[in-house]
Amino acid sequence: MMDCQNLREVLDLYVDGELSPEASVQAEAHLAECLACRRAADCLRGLRQAVKAAVSQYQPAPQLANRVRESTLSPWHRRPAWALAVAAAALLIVAFAASAAQLRGTVANTLEAVAFRLDDSRSVVMEGMLLCRDCQLKKEYGYRAMCPLKGHHGALQTKDGKIWNILDGDAAEDLIHNSALLGRTVRIHGRCFRRASSLEVDSYEILEKGSQARS
Amino acid sequence: MAASKLLQVRLDSLFFGQTLRAKHFERDALPHLPAVYRMARQLVGVESADDLVQETFLRAWKYFETFDPTTNCRAWLFRILRNVWISRWRKSRLELPLVDTGAEQIEPYYDWEGEFLREELSADVERALSELLPDYRLAILLADVEDCTYEEIARIMECPIGTVMSRLNRGRRMLARLIQAYGDAKASKNQPQEFVRRKP
Repeated sequence: MMDCQNLREVLDLYVDGELSPEASVQAEAHLAECLACRRAADCLRGLRQAVKAAVSQYQPAPQLANRVRESTLSPWHRRPAWALAVAAAALLIVAFAASAAQLRGTVANTLEAVAFRLDDSRSVVMEGMLLCRDCQLKKEYGYRAMCPLKGHHGALQTKDGKIWNILDGDAAEDLIHNSALLGRTVRIHGRCFRRASSLEVDSYEILEKGSQARS
Repeated sequence: MAASKLLQVRLDSLFFGQTLRAKHFERDALPHLPAVYRMARQLVGVESADDLVQETFLRAWKYFETFDPTTNCRAWLFRILRNVWISRWRKSRLELPLVDTGAEQIEPYYDWEGEFLREELSADVERALSELLPDYRLAILLADVEDCTYEEIARIMECPIGTVMSRLNRGRRMLARLIQAYGDAKASKNQPQEFVRRKP
């Protein structure tokens, strides 16, 4: 038969569910008869619950989960160093081959394919000129732009001639809708969704006429 | 059975490489991020918790080949977390972690009562936890928050089960006394003061 002294020596184990079934039966028999030990067991359970409640209230920020995911599962981190070296060498060869005019089309497609393959929407800094996407499409393809009615729609043209859509967002408001910025050179900090040719803007700087930072 | 599963995973990993490894990591390790964060926050504080979590997962990813999928991934992550934490802690502070002898006597009595119904208890519990010796704190968090068994705690903390029992017993007593002391201090502060009329 368990007495108070024995019970309290194994109280942690009892409350933590670590006692053997036989010892648990003995402990319960004692607790059924002893008010003081029942209170001690309740106190210990109360302490356990208080610790759990105090600590469990915190959750990681979603950004932390993203960072962990990126630093472990993103293609760049997943690929071993030799694979990256091979990819870099292949890019150099492709770039070198680009000097041959007849290969340019193929090279452009290859580069695009590589870019697509490596697409991981990580943070980027991109520079280029702001232009109206619809006017540009009108100029190049005869698209029926609605700018006179609806206003211009800013987009970023990088030096390679590619036009990047700017996604709606607080930081992107002026870049898209402020016509006064058209024709200006800007540097955009944000994320790049290559397959969708789109940019998410975190902040930007206007590089001409005394660089100004906006965010 | 366990060995064949392990072999299967190793073979899969060999043939399907990084993609499968990433898939398993996402399935087995990443769901424990909230638990790892909770623990990190209590060990190093809110300012450094994110860094500790990130470093833990980076190391876990690096050594994921060594994880036995028939075992508990969360316990494996906690063990890595503890190792990262110790290496950082020893680097950043001159004190050494607690060294205790496994054969310490378990203290037999609990002597606190009625402390766990107070308001603002969580803040006091956190404050008291932060004042505990780190190994006591870790043992309590693993047992009380993460519901780890003594055997898992012993593996995570790389110590005998007897040491786990003594850390839990002593740690909880200290914790309860600290919480009680904070409660007493608040009660005496809120006590209305009696005015003693001075004789003319």
